[in-house]
Amino acid sequence: MIPELGHITLIAYLVLCLVGGILPLAAIFFNKAALEMPIKRVTSLLFSLITFSFLILIYSFLVDDFSVAYVAQNSNINLPFYFKFAATWGAHEGSLILWILAMNAWLISFIFLTKCKNTDFLNTVFSISCQVMFAFTLFTLLTSNPFERILPIPPLNGADLNPSLQDIAFTIHPPLLYFGYSGLLIPFAIAVAAMLFNTDTKEWASYSRPWTLLSCSFLTLGIALGSWWAYYELGWGGWWFWDPVENAAFVPWLLSVALFHSLITSQSKGVFGKWSILLSILAFSTSLLGTFLVRSGILTSVHAFALDPERGLFILGILAFFIVGSLIIYSIKDLNQDNSGTYELNSKEFGFLLNNLLLVILAISILFGTIFPLIYEAITDGKQISVGAPYFEIILFPFALALGLLQGIALYLSWGSSSSFSFIQRVFLESISVFGLILLILYILFDNLYLTSFITIFLACWIAAGTLQVSKKRNINYWSFLKKRLAVTFAHVGMAILVLGVGVVSSYSLEKELILAPGDSFEFGDQIVSFESVEDTLGPNYFSKSANISFKDTQNDTNVITEKRTYVPSGQLTTEAGIIMEPFQDLYISMGDNLEADIWSFKVQIKPFIRWIWLGALLIAIGSMLAGIKQIRRA
Amino acid sequence: MKKLLDILPLVIFVTLIIVLFSFLSNEDDQLETALIDESFPEFSLTSLTDKTKVLTKSDISELPALINVWATWCIACKVEHPFLMQLKEESILPIYGLNYKDNRNKAIALLQADGNPFEFSIFDFEGRLAIDLGVYGAPETFFIDKAGLIRVRHVGVIDDKVWKEKFAKYLDE
Repeated sequence: MIPELGHITLIAYLVLCLVGGILPLAAIFFNKAALEMPIKRVTSLLFSLITFSFLILIYSFLVDDFSVAYVAQNSNINLPFYFKFAATWGAHEGSLILWILAMNAWLISFIFLTKCKNTDFLNTVFSISCQVMFAFTLFTLLTSNPFERILPIPPLNGADLNPSLQDIAFTIHPPLLYFGYSGLLIPFAIAVAAMLFNTDTKEWASYSRPWTLLSCSFLTLGIALGSWWAYYELGWGGWWFWDPVENAAFVPWLLSVALFHSLITSQSKGVFGKWSILLSILAFSTSLLGTFLVRSGILTSVHAFALDPERGLFILGILAFFIVGSLIIYSIKDLNQDNSGTYELNSKEFGFLLNNLLLVILAISILFGTIFPLIYEAITDGKQISVGAPYFEIILFPFALALGLLQGIALYLSWGSSSSFSFIQRVFLESISVFGLILLILYILFDNLYLTSFITIFLACWIAAGTLQVSKKRNINYWSFLKKRLAVTFAHVGMAILVLGVGVVSSYSLEKELILAPGDSFEFGDQIVSFESVEDTLGPNYFSKSANISFKDTQNDTNVITEKRTYVPSGQLTTEAGIIMEPFQDLYISMGDNLEADIWSFKVQIKPFIRWIWLGALLIAIGSMLAGIKQIRRA
Repeated sequence: MKKLLDILPLVIFVTLIIVLFSFLSNEDDQLETALIDESFPEFSLTSLTDKTKVLTKSDISELPALINVWATWCIACKVEHPFLMQLKEESILPIYGLNYKDNRNKAIALLQADGNPFEFSIFDFEGRLAIDLGVYGAPETFFIDKAGLIRVRHVGVIDDKVWKEKFAKYLDE
């Protein structure tokens, strides 16, 4: 009975979304005040409905209601309760509900926090959001209903949650990512409303900016957590694989970064209005495209959900309706969005323009690389080709270089023209700091030099110096100035730290495959790795072989456990890597195959600075979150 | 010129959607053609009911036959089980089971409780044969003709309707 309550609530939600998607627009365009809706109340009601439905699904998991097919497929009696909870969004159906919930959460925040006197504009944003939520709910109910039952004879136990998802980072990685993706709905709806009413560029940009920043922050956190999870859970020690689904998250991230930079210009100067509209549409459409790629089974990847062409068709329909619809408005409507501002080559405007061009071209290149195998297959009638890491790395490098160089000087630029600013003095100062930082880093790393890492180290220092020194162009106290620019400082320094991490880890990593019996030792870098013992252990829903490994260098002697787990319900194997985290390096070991008796193969790695990648991402997320909150307060 | 630039994003997106659409609509066929008309892969795995007995391709001796991928953790397999029983009771053709990533004791218990439609079940704990077959998950069913070639592959539950549409015609050949 209880799951049906959730199902009925979801249907009620669908109906209300449909009404909300039509009535306010009808009220505006047929000029009938009678059709207007109290959108604050309706949004709250919508939010309560979807939250209730989601809670019921969680409840079904917690009480092991295996008559619900989705629960039976993704949970198990022996699963610890916190993973039962997280299993709610562990597969396609439940994650869709979470996605809708996230969209609604953004909408309710937008409606209540935006101080906008133009009710027509607000109602339109509300209505467009309702339409999108309607489409997703319809999709859920028709093709992926999480409340579907197995009756009359429910199974006694469930099939268990995918073992590699039984992990703490996983419990928060998808929600963060979904909040990031779905947050792009708000800028999209605002862009469409802005086109319909030809709203003043400065005005609508100010509504859009905080939500773009916050989505970007969530996307950053989600992607970083996913990368961290892959690092220690998949057992390969890599942190980014250019997997299609990673790219599907990376592309909207790049576009959201481009968008909020462009929105700064639109809000302050009233220029780039059309461009910001186009970017808003693109950002949202790539986030939908990502969903499509993951859930249609069109690309295979570690992330692939259930394969079902019918689902793919449905999402493609949603994508086509909203994106083609908004692009038609974009192409036929005479948009009066660009004030005739003039700016010079050394202006802030031009800096943002360059930043946007680079980010968007990079995003398109990555998107192209991701779907090119499909296009190729379609053209050549079934020949397969794969586009791997080398393509993406070759593409990324020059763009990252250009963006980083730009980022290092970007904060010195002023609106219109930066002629009053003495570049020579600045560049001189900056060069000294950059040089000092490089020496410091090389001193820490000590060993040999690689050209690629040298360039990235330079770039990281360049960005960091450019961000931290910016205040000196004005005659105010350094720290109070930095405090005023806390958000951008966080974000840009975060980027510097991330770049540094990437550069160092990609050229200074060590890696070796070892075959060891208990008692064996091996010299690796400056470490002595010893395989002390191996024993059988038992978890709640798995049994495992766990190896005790010690890493010894001149100062430290640390032990770490790496495991090979066999999950009982599904029989799947997972590797739990043993990782010793230090500020400047990770010692990483993962268990391979059992060769005979107690002899095992291992993969040992030393990953210098890898933690800096996620630290950098965290700072970027904090920075954009701070900026978003500040913008909401100001609005 | 400026107008042209405004239409460009639309044109690109529509093209993209058409490409994706065309890919989606022939996805289904491709999935099935991968192994069609190939001979059934070689294997060497133990029998579900007898740990010590090693089964190979030559044990699938009665042809034509169905190979059904199943597991106790697979909900849909329970749905399809009565239909497999029906095929067995009406002696339409022999069915061989491929027990996929499962617990041996549970699987034996299930067959004892619900009935065993299979001549025998191959115990594929690591999914080795399943990989050779390109199995996506359970349930999945393959039809092997008299010559030992795979003629039909069906992903998902097999029932009366699926049987008539996809399998029955090959049985008459």
